[in-house]
Amino acid sequence: MGIMFTKLFSSLFGNKEARILVLGLDNAGKTTILYRLQMGEVVSTIPTIGFNVETVQYNNIKFQVWDLGGQTSIRPYWRCYFPNTQAIIYVVDSSDTDRLVIAKEEFHAILEEEELRGAVVLIFANKQDLPGALDAAVVTEALELHKIKNRQWAIFKTSATKGEGLFEGLDWLSNTLKSGSG
Amino acid sequence: MFSLFYGLWKYLFSKTEFHVLILGIDKAGKTTLLEKLKSLYSNLEGLPPDRIVPTVGLNIGRVEVLNTKLVFWDLGGQPGLRSIWEKYYEEAHAVVFVIDAACPSRFEDSKSALEKVLRHEDLQGAPLLILANKQDLSEAVTAEELARYLDLKKLDERVYMFEAVSAFDGTGIKQGAEWLVEVMERSKRTEMLRNRAGVAGP
Repeated sequence: MGIMFTKLFSSLFGNKEARILVLGLDNAGKTTILYRLQMGEVVSTIPTIGFNVETVQYNNIKFQVWDLGGQTSIRPYWRCYFPNTQAIIYVVDSSDTDRLVIAKEEFHAILEEEELRGAVVLIFANKQDLPGALDAAVVTEALELHKIKNRQWAIFKTSATKGEGLFEGLDWLSNTLKSGSG
Repeated sequence: MFSLFYGLWKYLFSKTEFHVLILGIDKAGKTTLLEKLKSLYSNLEGLPPDRIVPTVGLNIGRVEVLNTKLVFWDLGGQPGLRSIWEKYYEEAHAVVFVIDAACPSRFEDSKSALEKVLRHEDLQGAPLLILANKQDLSEAVTAEELARYLDLKKLDERVYMFEAVSAFDGTGIKQGAEWLVEVMERSKRTEMLRNRAGVAGP
């Protein structure tokens, strides 16, 4: 009952809220992206053990952004955070060509999760400022994004350190979440 | 044994979901069309045209037209993104190809992109709806003029139609969608896709 009122209340007055998970291999740039979005600046980060969570207000949507540690040993814990997630931001280090295959496998394993069935997927081909970074089309191919046929997806070239592409991605997210599809 | 009967039951009574690809070069109006379809045929509102940004991936619209379930796949049309189109061909029941009828300087690009789509064997027999979009603009050419310009060969093997539409104000969209449903329901390709699903499916 309480939930019903909360829902009614927020549909009448509140901004929309969305729970977003930021996932990706270790050293992809997830934490840098989180703080770039939240504070607009580059912070120095250390490998995340556990998670960081921040709220980012953008386009009338309150994004609750969860940045989960990406090291191999802690990836199994990602699933604890899956329920009630509206969107996934999957971050790839576009210059780390050796590990793209692993990035692809982890990505498709996430998509198989029942609890994430309704989530839309945004891919950040990150670290575009580094020499040898692959462009969006190549990353699309490498991650086999075309296998996604029952949900919306988009890929953006980003550089978290330069702040490029991130808000274009959030624009897409807010449009997609508002149009109620996915 | 059970699964056999279940399969038969599903075959006879379940509603088929039709997959329709929306293709075309960038700035043709594919996503605007998708959003218009959503607002015409579902209770979702659909994004207003001024909020739509270039697609860099896949947008999906699930609507019901004439009691038939349609899933529209709207794929990005920028040159670098066109390579993923063909990955979606195999499961598509039909193709909608959108062309900006008010921009003759890009007809050639549209023509070659469309010819490439039609040559692909994974799309054999798929009904084709070609939309002369942006009829709300005064400089837009008619569907007949566009057909003459494109001068497509090898079209006679498949069901196709040209339609003048405006995804912006909605002109012609319903006629196009309803035509699609009718031709898909009795197309050989639908039969082929259904058989394949019946053989491979659970």
